Amino acid sequence: MNPQLEGIEHIAGTYPFDLRTSIRALRINRFFWNLARKEHRDELVADPDQAFRRAGLSDAECALVRARDWLGLIRYGVNFFVLEKYARVLRVSNLEVYAAMRGESLDDFLKTRRVPDAR
Amino acid sequence: MATIIGGIGSSHVPTIGLIHDKGRQHEPAWAPLFEGYKPVARWLEEKKPDVLLFFYNDHANSIFFDFYPTFALGVSPSFELADEGAGSRPLPPIRGHSELAIHLAEQLVNDEFDLTIFQDRPLDHGCHSPLPLLWPPTVAADGVQDGWPGAVVPIQVNVLQYPMPTAARCWKLGQAVRRAVQSFPGDLKVVVVGTGGLSHQIHGERTGFNNTEWDMQFLELLEHDPERLAAMRHVDYVRLGGAEGAEVVMWLAMRGALGERIRKLHQNYYLATTTAMAVVLFEESEAQR
Repeated sequence: MNPQLEGIEHIAGTYPFDLRTSIRALRINRFFWNLARKEHRDELVADPDQAFRRAGLSDAECALVRARDWLGLIRYGVNFFVLEKYARVLRVSNLEVYAAMRGESLDDFLKTRRVPDAR
Repeated sequence: MATIIGGIGSSHVPTIGLIHDKGRQHEPAWAPLFEGYKPVARWLEEKKPDVLLFFYNDHANSIFFDFYPTFALGVSPSFELADEGAGSRPLPPIRGHSELAIHLAEQLVNDEFDLTIFQDRPLDHGCHSPLPLLWPPTVAADGVQDGWPGAVVPIQVNVLQYPMPTAARCWKLGQAVRRAVQSFPGDLKVVVVGTGGLSHQIHGERTGFNNTEWDMQFLELLEHDPERLAAMRHVDYVRLGGAEGAEVVMWLAMRGALGERIRKLHQNYYLATTTAMAVVLFEESEAQR
């Protein structure tokens, strides 16, 4: 156990991205990371199945990606900062992803914010 | 000898860069943020530092988890801005300062900070999201933005993948950077910058967490009792400031590079949607430089 993180399991709704997660989910994290480059974005849009195959994703991983299950992907072990590159491909804003992870609509999420217009 | 004349803490939310590049700074929802940077920009214009030394983090843009350094120092004479998937920013390349960076590498390694060294890697928004707010790009006679008022020395800190460097380690890195800068033979004025924070969480069901009370306490401790912050564990930062808010350890590196006698000249805090966006300016007392 990382001494710096003792007790983190008591902080609900939080999934620290550590080495066990990173090793287990390296392929799917790399798949999302690659979406910073145009050729990978184009391939995903043109032929998702081929993009998944080339990335070596498992069936369970493909299902999470296809479902755009943002919270499921985080819980699976995807790092948010590569996940947001997938949101860019889908033209989904980070605020929409945040709302989805909270189980809220974008409008309901924005109602909880101090300056909902700041976007 | 080179001197550190001040320190800046700044959020690095990518939207700051986006709103800047689209020229939307004056919109009512954004003006309180951009106005808050003006006193810092004026101070920099007046003091004319040669170098901004950044403690920042990469958000899986230039580097990936297949090879992830804890501390990495950029030594190139020039850096591109990373295309993070939505195209490059309309800003000139960032000038580095190889001589200072080489000196830092040699001194820091000798001082037991075994840094990774990088060249030819583009810089992440963790460094340049607030850069044009601090240092507006220089403009040539034909109206084209052609450069920056000075050079940037980037020190990348892992705040994405645990184990991250501890708050205490970041604090000590800042202190070692101070010793190294002060032993540089050339006559340079340096301002240290720590980016990130303040409170926010952007993953899991706890997304949207903020804690303004803690943010204020953090800013107070940063100025007057940074060693208390250095003694805190990551889990404390996550609990108090949100999971991604733990990146404020980079502000502690900045504070470690400053002397004991500092004056806070400016502070701005703006929590709009998800991240509490702050900018703070500390000036060193002349006597201790």
